[in-house]
Amino acid sequence: MEEELAKSLDSHRKYLLRYALFQLRDPSLAEDAVQDTLIAALTHGDAFEGRSQLRTWLIAILKHKVIDQIRKRNRGLPADALSLGEEDESADSSFNTRGRWVDPPADWGLPDAALESKQFWRVYQECCRRMSKRHAMIFSMREVMEISAEEICKKLEISTSNLHVILYRARLSLRSCVTKNWFGAEHG
Amino acid sequence: MGKLMYSCEQASMLSSRAMDEPLAPLERIQLRFHLMMCTGCTSFSHQIAFLRRASQKVPEALETDEDSRADEPRSRG
Repeated sequence: MEEELAKSLDSHRKYLLRYALFQLRDPSLAEDAVQDTLIAALTHGDAFEGRSQLRTWLIAILKHKVIDQIRKRNRGLPADALSLGEEDESADSSFNTRGRWVDPPADWGLPDAALESKQFWRVYQECCRRMSKRHAMIFSMREVMEISAEEICKKLEISTSNLHVILYRARLSLRSCVTKNWFGAEHG
Repeated sequence: MGKLMYSCEQASMLSSRAMDEPLAPLERIQLRFHLMMCTGCTSFSHQIAFLRRASQKVPEALETDEDSRADEPRSRG
């Protein structure tokens, strides 16, 4: 039984690594998070029944390990390292001085079809990479890992208003990048 | 919050915040009011909702052919 579990865990390793890497952007930290996840999974293997949900279960463990890694990494940084930075204070180029859109968002039509396109995912990933590390990390904690705003503030020790600004900036930037490179561009 | 009308910048910020916590009743009304008259901000709020749907699919979408092959049983018996 244990051997079988170990074998199937191994088959998910790459997938978990990609997930962790997307979140942490650091191969060795991602590797650590995945290793901790697999160890935890093996230790609690008897608690797990049925292979079909194995990946979901592993992802749930991995989320905690990723947060651990983020916290560990932050321990060496100044207390406000994750709070507002200069990029948040400066005026956003999406709006003019009167708060109007410089280039008002146009309708994306029925965007969900894009989710089936590999090319779209390449654009999505590239756009996330273009965000600052801090924005990307917090955005993906909220939107990819689906951690509540409250919990993110608690775990990262940032204020609610900081979090709102960071998420807003991240969404603005991703929206505009995806528009430029997918919805407003020739593709496919 | 003296002004009755939000600017697009304020409205889009509020659309974003609404995805992370419930807005106050007055804020909700003011945002709705702005969205009724502003197609740019309406598109923005739909788009960030779409980006959330997309993001929640990231773990599956990042899967490569290699990964899905690894999931298949290697051999019978």
